[in-house]
Amino acid sequence: MLSKITVSPAPHISQDLSTRGVMGDVIIALVPAIAAAVWFFRFQAVWVIATCVLSCMASEWICNIIRKKPNSLGDLSAILTGLILAFSLPPTIPLWAAAIGSAFAIVIAKMLFGGLGCNVFNPAMAARAFMAASLGALMTTWTVPATMGEVHCKGQEANALAAIHAENTYDGSNGEIALTQATPLAWAKSAQKGKADVQLVNQMVKPTFYGGVGGCLGETSVLALLIGGVYLLIRKTISFHIPAAVLIAAAAFVGIFYLISPDKYANPAFHLFSGGMLICAFFIATDPVTAPLSVKGMWIFGVGVGALVMLIRLIGELPEGVMYAVLIMNALTPLIDRACKLMPAGGKPNVS
Amino acid sequence: MAEIRGKCTFPGGAHPPENKQFGENCPVEVATVPKQVSILLSQHIGAPCEPLVAKREAVTVGQVIGQSDAFVSAPIHSPINGTVKDIALLPHPVIGRTMGIIIDADAENNTPKQPVNARFDKDFNPTDFTPEKICMSVRQAGLVGMGGAGFPTQVKIEPNPRLEKKVLIINGCECEPFITCDYRVMLEWVWQVIAGIRLAAHAAGVNKIRIGIEDNKPEAIKIVSDTIEQLGNIGDIQVVPLKTKYPQGGERQLIKSILGKTVPTGSIPPTIGVCVLNVATCAAIAEAVIVGNPLTHRIVTVSGCAISKPGNYYVPIGMRVEDLIEYCGGLTETAAKVIMGGPMMGFAIADLSTPLTKTSGALTFLTKAAVTRAKYEKQVTACIRCGRCLTACPEHLNPTKIAHAVKYNKLDLAKDYYLSACMECGCCSFVCPANIEITGYIKTGKILDARAKKRLG
Ligand code: SF4
Ligand code: SF4
Repeated sequence: MLSKITVSPAPHISQDLSTRGVMGDVIIALVPAIAAAVWFFRFQAVWVIATCVLSCMASEWICNIIRKKPNSLGDLSAILTGLILAFSLPPTIPLWAAAIGSAFAIVIAKMLFGGLGCNVFNPAMAARAFMAASLGALMTTWTVPATMGEVHCKGQEANALAAIHAENTYDGSNGEIALTQATPLAWAKSAQKGKADVQLVNQMVKPTFYGGVGGCLGETSVLALLIGGVYLLIRKTISFHIPAAVLIAAAAFVGIFYLISPDKYANPAFHLFSGGMLICAFFIATDPVTAPLSVKGMWIFGVGVGALVMLIRLIGELPEGVMYAVLIMNALTPLIDRACKLMPAGGKPNVS
Repeated sequence: MAEIRGKCTFPGGAHPPENKQFGENCPVEVATVPKQVSILLSQHIGAPCEPLVAKREAVTVGQVIGQSDAFVSAPIHSPINGTVKDIALLPHPVIGRTMGIIIDADAENNTPKQPVNARFDKDFNPTDFTPEKICMSVRQAGLVGMGGAGFPTQVKIEPNPRLEKKVLIINGCECEPFITCDYRVMLEWVWQVIAGIRLAAHAAGVNKIRIGIEDNKPEAIKIVSDTIEQLGNIGDIQVVPLKTKYPQGGERQLIKSILGKTVPTGSIPPTIGVCVLNVATCAAIAEAVIVGNPLTHRIVTVSGCAISKPGNYYVPIGMRVEDLIEYCGGLTETAAKVIMGGPMMGFAIADLSTPLTKTSGALTFLTKAAVTRAKYEKQVTACIRCGRCLTACPEHLNPTKIAHAVKYNKLDLAKDYYLSACMECGCCSFVCPANIEITGYIKTGKILDARAKKRLG
């Protein structure tokens, strides 16, 4: 009888929650976006996503063998990293590049820091930065989604697209530049420089919402990302603080610019819906490992990300700033954590 | 039963499954007298008692068998007629081993002690007793807080000129899953409880009394309020329904919920003029003062899937766990863990000859399935820094930082994150998706800290 009785510290029950469950939930939340990516980019999307995920899993597996650690594929975090990375790549990326980027994400950005929970930078964003630095043009070549113009963009939006497209072609008057300018954010940038009509850019809000504009794999459909984000919030897998902080800060930032000169800057809705803003707010900035622990810290972190994204988009040279914004705030996370040290409910104890 | 919704609550906490169905509807049952009891000499916070009896000496029910001269202490009495068999080291549920007195019960003249709740009714006047008399009786009866920590009750209620008490809070929350003994006390012994509350308030010289009960016990809320209503004008006494959330019954959380006040870290409730008593303690006060009985018996909830006959039993303090298990029909095949207390804060015991103490309100028997699901099947991963433990911590600490500081043996860092402010409620471990034994590390840290202090002198 006695031999069957076990002892361990209290509490003796625990909530039905696991790291695997948390990561799995995020993956489930990404399913609509995966579906959207496959719908808009067809097989290109399938190959890129599959390559990234498999490469991440293989890297994790090999790293664990080298580090003589138990296999950690079960916590699903490698799959998640692969998905997020794939979502922030252009669909035309050569598969070898995707594979190398994924390996970088796991080996350099995660395992060298000590594995899950110890990495300072979001592995997917670190890998994307590495790829942007080393692959150059491959990372900024955008194709127009396979379905564009057929399904989702009718009437006015189609006109707007056509007009902008014409403008781009005119603008660069050579095919290559026109291609590189195909994301809505790039149009916004050229509108800002007075090269495109900002009204046309603003009309892009609706197509960006349903999807079907150029951009990274995971950026095309706001609707799909919102469904996933809401799912995460309902499941309480993420708390609302970071997404809210990112979106509010970004909206406020661009709102000021928009109010001052509406004919130069696109409206806030456009900026919230386009590019990586939503995937960043719901899936990248909320990566628990690289975000602060406390609620106060989460607010600061989120506001920082939102403001930096807009700073880069509106004032910097790049059309998109999610990656650098997240990496910069990741680097600040330890500082934020230290600054937001919690005070016990009863205040500082007078005797230590 | 009309739904009662408690509004008052505290920030943080968790919602473990309540699992009260096992003992909720079991009336208190008087257990038979065991053949032998082991009475620990350290059942409370404060100085342990010295034994007053010798080997082979005969003892009678209610006889003082252990005492200490220290101010913070409580005497210990024999719950049965019998002979002292031995004074030896015995297993203690919390502190490992401690001295205790083993008493063999007389085969004949031992009838189980019956509860005295029938002797209390409407016509009771606490002012028949002077505060000094009440405190005296409480001290002599060896009363300690029966909800958990076991702080001597007399020290709590005695007026202290430096810290004037303004409010008396009665803890009827019973927020731990599985436990139902306080609930049954409120339902069945309500007159006795109210009498005890009024005596305590009279002794402590407070006029404002608040009784906090979680809203998952609407019957208890109703019966206690009705009783108070029947008594008519007896001063400022109110039942406060509270939100059902763990650890609502923690002293500091209860004060926060009811009064909105926070007890300073590292201090005790009297510093802000509050005294907190548990309902079972109040019942014991009434018994001690009016009937003159010492604290020798208490209600223990026996609960969980791994015991044949769960329920609420009135047992002698000192009864061994194995005897109570036998009385309750034995363990089932799948029993895997025996917990003294509830599953959130209780202590898992390995030695079934551990005796019950004045503070053991429950025995929880978990099945293999429940234990493995909670502890062993789930993979422990590195902390993913999700922040759930910070949100859940009712003391507003940073549990993961403390736990990891302890893990890597950085006690100073742990103290920097207010290691000592942790009340060991277990919320952080409960919510952690990485299944880290956060509370376990923190407890270890506290023990290491205490040792280090001792070494320094
Ligand atoms: S740190 Fe202590 S007080 Fe906070 S939740 Fe954990 S056990 Fe409870
Ligand atoms: S709940 Fe667990 S995983 Fe989350 S921050 Fe706390 S210790 Fe880390």
